[in-house]
Amino acid sequence: MTAPAVTAPEFSLPSVAGGPVRLADLCDHGPALVLFVSEECPTCVLTLHRLAPVISELSAAGMRVAAVFEDPLEVAARVARRTGFPGVVLSEPAPYEVSRAYSLESLPTAVLIDRDGRERGRVVGWDAAGLRTLLSMPVADEPPLRKPGCAAKNTYDPEELRRLDGAGHDELEEMFEREWTDGLPVIPPTPERVEAMLGRRDASRLLGEMAPAMARVTLERVAACAVLAGCRPEYFPVVVAAVEAVLEPAFNVGGQAVTTQPCGQVLVVNGPVREAIGLNGAVGALGPGWRANMTIGRALRLVVSLTGGGFPGRLDRSTLGNPGKVAMCFAEDEEVSPWEPLHLSRGFSESSSVVTVLGADAPLSISDHRSTSPLELARVLGEAAAATWSPNWWPLGGVSLFVICPEHARSFSEWRWSKDRVREEMFSAVSRPARELRWGETTPQVNAADEDQLICKWSSPEDIMIVVAGGEAGRYSAVFGPCLGMNTEPISKEVQWNT
Amino acid sequence: MEYVSPFDERRRAAEPLAPRPADLSGARVALLDITKRRGDEFLDRIEELLHSRGAQTFRVVKEIFSKPAGPEIVRRIADRGDLAVEGLAD
Repeated sequence: MTAPAVTAPEFSLPSVAGGPVRLADLCDHGPALVLFVSEECPTCVLTLHRLAPVISELSAAGMRVAAVFEDPLEVAARVARRTGFPGVVLSEPAPYEVSRAYSLESLPTAVLIDRDGRERGRVVGWDAAGLRTLLSMPVADEPPLRKPGCAAKNTYDPEELRRLDGAGHDELEEMFEREWTDGLPVIPPTPERVEAMLGRRDASRLLGEMAPAMARVTLERVAACAVLAGCRPEYFPVVVAAVEAVLEPAFNVGGQAVTTQPCGQVLVVNGPVREAIGLNGAVGALGPGWRANMTIGRALRLVVSLTGGGFPGRLDRSTLGNPGKVAMCFAEDEEVSPWEPLHLSRGFSESSSVVTVLGADAPLSISDHRSTSPLELARVLGEAAAATWSPNWWPLGGVSLFVICPEHARSFSEWRWSKDRVREEMFSAVSRPARELRWGETTPQVNAADEDQLICKWSSPEDIMIVVAGGEAGRYSAVFGPCLGMNTEPISKEVQWNT
Repeated sequence: MEYVSPFDERRRAAEPLAPRPADLSGARVALLDITKRRGDEFLDRIEELLHSRGAQTFRVVKEIFSKPAGPEIVRRIADRGDLAVEGLAD
């Protein structure tokens, strides 16, 4: 230990708590202990561990303790968290000019600086006795009592430094830097992972061009998005079918991708593939908790927003967005439903697996625990949708997707109502005289109608799409309002799997 | 580290602008109505101004504002018109 009473070089370094911290800030009320460390040095990690318990005592005695990491900020934050280091955490970027100004040779180096900014002493490496003397305080005295550290990075030659910078690189952070994300962490699409996703499929196969970027959507790019989203390879056939569906011109994905509306893309999956990949249609079907649901929905959204160019805030101008723009994929619970499954209604065989994609707003929950007749329940469900899009926008001119919970479905079944009957009664139940709809945002049909002419919320019962999903207990169904102004249609595609 | 990009990395060269006419007299101008609300009112006024400068006009209407103009719309504008005016947004 040496104690030259020289002025400690001033510095200003970024802090994990946000904003820069200067030496003057650390010394403004008393002495400061500055620990120069690095993630790669085991002695540094040992020192942070060993000093962590005494830092509160040092703080109580009026001393600030800061760790200056010769590492990026996120690495510094991670090591500080792992070691339980409670002091100020700073990051010194290459080429380590602060370390050079302090004439560091190795790490860790603990430098004690008094309130006037003069260096009062330093300890190099882990040295329990030296630190005890420097701090006038007992520190951990279990073995090892001494341990040398590693060379400080300011002593490396520039070539070696560049190589190490690469080694300390965090690939998850790089995904954010590249903006290959929806704002959540992603799985980096390494060639190995993308190959595993593709299986034996032709990576160069072109599925179509996607607006607004007019990007060529190849199977390889879809696989990259599926990896980013966290899909397992067995989910990939569902992702591919969903991408094929949205690329149909009648879906108008380009319009949906850029509109100020909040619309997202909702995926409903039917058929045997649901069970094979663990896609949930039961309790919590529209929420989080199931990897297949979350990552398949997310993969489609990444294709739309990254490959297709509809990135939020850029070409996606959605005023508010909607959580369904992160991911919205669920299975119909065909085994619980009293009715034929959606894919049969849409012309597919029962044994096929099918994904149906709709442009839709966020779901609206509909509670009904009190209805005593099927007509009453059908009316509750329909009326809940009366205000979707805008309260007086009748007819909607688009498809509403109703997700009927098992208890509601069972009630209809006990009353012997078919799915068509439910749709027809919902359609008929939700109508108003035109005069009641002539305020706010209303439609040309309402304005052209006679005062007492009844206008329905939907153009026909076919605009009411019904599936069954949800937990066995609870009388909560939901409706996804339509995406209007897009001339979009629901599109169903068979999932090519198990082949 | 090598990654597979989700993007179509092709870079397209900017298309050069068509030459601008010195005056509008006798020019055939396509007025493209994308069907956004009140876009027709905007095009009505543009049409008046074009007629006052000796231009001829014709209307072309997209299926819906939110879809790209189909190739047949673009062909009609290119075949019949020297110039085009498009009314965007509300």
